[in-house]
Amino acid sequence: MIPQGIPNTTAVVHTLTDETNLIGSASPRDIVFFIVLLGIAYFVGILVARYLKLKMSHRIKPDQLARLCLAVRCILILAAIGISIPGFFDLSFTILLLIFAALVAIIGLSSQKVISNMIGGLAILYECPFGTGDFISTGEVSGTVVSTRLFSVLVRTTSGVYVQIPNDQIYSSDVSNYHANVAQRYEYVVGIRYQDDVKKAIAIIFDILESYTFILKNPAPEVFVSDIDADSVRVKLRIWFPSGWANLKDDVSLQIDILPRVKAMLEAAGIEMPYAHREILFANQSPALPDTGNTQRPGGFA
Amino acid sequence: MYGRYDRAFSITEEKISLRIDSGSSLPEYVRECGGTRTGKHLASEYDAIHIHPVEPVNLPQEITHYLEIVFPTIVLPPTKQKRIFLKFPVEIGVFFEIRGEMNVLDIFSLIPTKFSLYGSPSRGVITRWYRSEIFSEIPLTDMYREGVLELTLVNHCNTTVDVSRAVFDSYHMNLFYGTRVGMTATMEVISPVIALTTFATTPPEGCPNRSIDLYTARKFTVGTFKGFLMEAGMS
Repeated sequence: MIPQGIPNTTAVVHTLTDETNLIGSASPRDIVFFIVLLGIAYFVGILVARYLKLKMSHRIKPDQLARLCLAVRCILILAAIGISIPGFFDLSFTILLLIFAALVAIIGLSSQKVISNMIGGLAILYECPFGTGDFISTGEVSGTVVSTRLFSVLVRTTSGVYVQIPNDQIYSSDVSNYHANVAQRYEYVVGIRYQDDVKKAIAIIFDILESYTFILKNPAPEVFVSDIDADSVRVKLRIWFPSGWANLKDDVSLQIDILPRVKAMLEAAGIEMPYAHREILFANQSPALPDTGNTQRPGGFA
Repeated sequence: MYGRYDRAFSITEEKISLRIDSGSSLPEYVRECGGTRTGKHLASEYDAIHIHPVEPVNLPQEITHYLEIVFPTIVLPPTKQKRIFLKFPVEIGVFFEIRGEMNVLDIFSLIPTKFSLYGSPSRGVITRWYRSEIFSEIPLTDMYREGVLELTLVNHCNTTVDVSRAVFDSYHMNLFYGTRVGMTATMEVISPVIALTTFATTPPEGCPNRSIDLYTARKFTVGTFKGFLMEAGMS
């Protein structure tokens, strides 16, 4: 016995069936269409990837090219799914667009940072300012790029620390790529005393640079007096290294290699590097006699 | 010293001593050279040891595969060609053979290395740099330090060009040895700033034996274009 107020069961079932029919069901034709479209998208993806490899292999690095090909194939497959799936549910494109817009709005609002990172990642992928293995410097971080991902870039610093940098941070700040050129110039400054022979010091430094394997012959090293300051004559060294070698080290280790040799050879030749000193004369004192600058006068102030 | 040696060998020449010590559980390859000793244990059985001159671009570490030889300027009139001899540095490769397959065991050199940049920092290449005099006949060399490059300069353009350097791609070098180490190359001047350098496959005079190519021993493939296009000038 059916209680009063409850509609007929058969009628309810019919109503539900009608509602199901409103959403729709996939016919064998739709399924075949879906599979064929997916297959076409897959093969077109392969062809496009091959074309990209052929045309762009000399312009971008292999790992970036592989990611680009993967992205193209994913987009094609998603497009195929987007075209064929509505047929399963008899959905019009207007409804689909509305659903899509709502989803985009929800996702966009809830994950602004993630989306900006993703867009930054796509922009980096497109513009290729650096690749895996390049030595970059951005913000406070300097190191070798280990991988470029959709949301972040993984960098290994010279001290061996792995740092993950969000893509939007990289895209919105200055990035220096030290690997873009095959050679890099480094500058060092050495101070010598006023009374030392500058020409002799420069000749000694040139000899040291000549004996150093990784200092390039061309562009030739430059050694010149860059400044004459209160305490010393400043001699500047401009030298070029192969980037592939120099980026394995950091600036400090290069200095450790070169500057001690320069110091030792200059000192062996009687050329000294003075320390900063200042003479203070009191009104009732006679002017100090000139000296070498390396000894502290009794009663004087260094 | 160059050639094939049996499993147990010991040679001493020109301040270089190479040997296999079989005393310990694993045979040890020992090189004593310039007051330093280098030892490596061989983990697998091998059939023979080969010592050959190899492309001079491996030491102290591989940062380039280009060799640049700088020499006094040669003035080459239009459509003329000239054969000259240059010296180039030699690196010595030690290989162990397993069932016909060559494997690199050691590479060393008696000559100091210098590098240079050919072209601009953004578009150029790093090269192994070497300075040579020009010789009209085959010069005398120490075959463990230097080899002889027979270089034919061909000027295809209608102007006189100054040539004072040549850059070669070591992937396509064809090194030979015998009474000395040698190779033959051609430098074709296409325009006043562009030249093409290629290597000949024929052995030079007095060098009948072909050296093992490192890129073959290391099993990596190289492009089909067998030459280097010098696009940043020749002097």
